[in-house]
Amino acid sequence: MQMSDEIKISARDVNVHYGDTHAIKDVDVDVLDKMVTAFIGPSGCGKSTFLRCINRMNDTIDVARVDGTITLDGEDIYARDVDPVQLRAKVGMVFQKPNPFPKSIYDNVAYGPRIHGMARNKADLDEIVEKSLRRAALWDEAKDRLAQPGTGLSGGQQQRLCIARAVATQPEVLLMDEPCSALDPIATGQIEDLIDELRKNFSVIIVTHSMQQAARVSQKTAFFHLGNLVEYGDTDHIFTNPEDPRTESYITGRIG
Amino acid sequence: MTATMFIAVLGLAAVAFLLSRQRAYRIAGANLSALHSRPAYHGTYSLLWVLVVGWGLLLALSVASSVLIEANLSARIAEALPDAPEIERQLVLSDAVAIAEGALPSKTGDLRAEIAARHTSLQAWRNWAIVILVSAGALLATAATWSQVALGWRARNRAEKIIRLILMSMAGIAILTTIGIVLSLIFETLNFFSNIGWRIDKFLFGTTWSPLSGVHEGKLDPDKVGAVPLFAGTLLITLIAMLVAVPVGLFAAIYLSEFASRNVRSTVKPLLEILAGIPTVVYGFFAAITVAPAIRGAGEAIGLSVASESALAAGVVMGIMIIPFISSLSDDVINAVPQSLRDGSYGLGANKSETIRQVVLPAALPGIVSAVLLGVSRAVGETMIVVMAAGQGANLTANPLEAVTTVTVQIVMLITGDTEATTAAGPAFTLGFTLFCVTLAMNIIALRIVRRYRELYD
Ligand SMILES: Nc1ncnc2c1ncn2[C@@H]1O[C@H](COP(=O)(O)OP(=O)(O)OP(=O)(O)O)[C@@H](O)[C@H]1O
Ligand SMILES: [Mg+2]
Repeated sequence: MQMSDEIKISARDVNVHYGDTHAIKDVDVDVLDKMVTAFIGPSGCGKSTFLRCINRMNDTIDVARVDGTITLDGEDIYARDVDPVQLRAKVGMVFQKPNPFPKSIYDNVAYGPRIHGMARNKADLDEIVEKSLRRAALWDEAKDRLAQPGTGLSGGQQQRLCIARAVATQPEVLLMDEPCSALDPIATGQIEDLIDELRKNFSVIIVTHSMQQAARVSQKTAFFHLGNLVEYGDTDHIFTNPEDPRTESYITGRIG
Repeated sequence: MTATMFIAVLGLAAVAFLLSRQRAYRIAGANLSALHSRPAYHGTYSLLWVLVVGWGLLLALSVASSVLIEANLSARIAEALPDAPEIERQLVLSDAVAIAEGALPSKTGDLRAEIAARHTSLQAWRNWAIVILVSAGALLATAATWSQVALGWRARNRAEKIIRLILMSMAGIAILTTIGIVLSLIFETLNFFSNIGWRIDKFLFGTTWSPLSGVHEGKLDPDKVGAVPLFAGTLLITLIAMLVAVPVGLFAAIYLSEFASRNVRSTVKPLLEILAGIPTVVYGFFAAITVAPAIRGAGEAIGLSVASESALAAGVVMGIMIIPFISSLSDDVINAVPQSLRDGSYGLGANKSETIRQVVLPAALPGIVSAVLLGVSRAVGETMIVVMAAGQGANLTANPLEAVTTVTVQIVMLITGDTEATTAAGPAFTLGFTLFCVTLAMNIIALRIVRRYRELYD
């Protein structure tokens, strides 16, 4: 396994408040390029919140306040001159809850490429849609019903549709918030293969509640607890000999 | 007297409730779960029976006795005045009642005094009868239901059944009145059509509207009941109104729900809704006194001849009236679009305008369409503004600067005009029925669309 040590995203002293709730406390973390980083931790510990800081999705929540610095390729993403719209084209996201648009399956996947003018003609677009659906392991189920609404798919199919939609825009960083929560083992395996493949070109951050999944797909793991980043390091290391007692009790199933 | 009995029954019902509940507690002893129904249900069951029996008897006896008393008095009057016309006997009766109740009769006399005395004594009898019968009925109901209280007595099921029947009869009343109104519309419409020799085509497609021009000869002329000018006028004004209301209302809604800060939203939205609270008669004279002359002035300044009452003035003001409907309904549906859809769009790098145009509006479209349709049915049925500002002449024109008339205006003219109501009613009812069909169709379509839209997210 070849590892580059290039830092893709670097966070320093990140704090997030939702009104009076202090959701993220002084988090420092360096996410490496072309690598899969897993965020694990008990429910409500702030994994999604931290993930949303990385593509500035917290901007859309009125009560949310983000302090500290986060850099992408060395550039501060919270700087005044950064356009969050452009940032999000580079940092894609798959949300915790599947949120297909009330449009056809095809239009769902084509949404990003159309907006960013990634296809020169219909054939190009068809190709992007097919490739994305294949990568998200949805093509076989969806190829005959591309014109039907995405909201008519099953929960797991919707989740894969959202993955396809995010992959279609070719982001440099892909944030995946529990992308396999509604998937069966076969589809989960296919998504994990996809993550492994994406790693060749992109960095991927995946939030997961499955220790096995974190161990299988990630090279780095970050353990969050009550808004703190408790431990961050090589996945092998964290799962075999965690340094913090809280990490140990979480991965052995005693808290969470 | 009736009011006193009404309250007395209520009081007795409360007592019955307490008694039965008490008895249920006593029968159950320490072991409450041995009762099929909780004590309060035994009480409720008694209460309902007492109310139904008591109030039912009260109503039935009051009505029946009034009829009987009147019949008795009329018989006596007929005996005394065998040759008098019906109207005079009626007069005697109403004078007698007035004397009996201490009010002012139009005339006095022996017969009237006698009838009045008779009325007084019959009333006294009747009051006693009612008091005794109603009390007896209510007491009987109390006793009967009280003695039925037992461990296995299914008071809850029975009480619920009574309540269901009461609710059902209320719903029945509402439905029956609606059906009655619709039936009378249909009946009058058919009547009108038969009076014009079933030339329904003349009504629907004829272009001359002057329905009362032949009534002096006692018949309706099928050639003069062409409603097309009214339909055209309604359509023209509705069109103008929607041209004003849809863009303004929709853009206001988009601004309020997507761009405005919380403060702006919380002040502007109620302000917009004040527009909806202004009575349409105010809009009407605003249109007639302010807007119409202004439009005429402006038209003359650029060399156009504008009638002093114009479709444009009425339409524009009607549009203003409809703005709050469209904006507030659209604002609601736009807000109901789940935030997660917007997030999904932003997460793919879309900007605000792309998100609104490609995700939010398409998702809200069915709701917006139904808001517009509801606005249209308001416009079609609106009366006050057009009566004052659009004119009365049944011109067939597409020129918004001329006076036109609408279906609603013609109904007003027919009903408030000098012609006898029964003659004018035919065309008026027919127009009303047409209007009813159009608005009904529009409301049904709008509701359909809204329902489909709900299914998408729930
Ligand atoms: N929009 C919001 N407004 C207010 N508080 C929020 C909001 N979103 C999250 N929080 C709070 O922030 C804290 C962290 O939430 P977050 O969603 O990041 O948890 P999580 O680690 O993703 O949990 P899970 O594993 O259940 O998804 C929680 O206490 C939550 O209540
Ligand atoms: Mg989460």
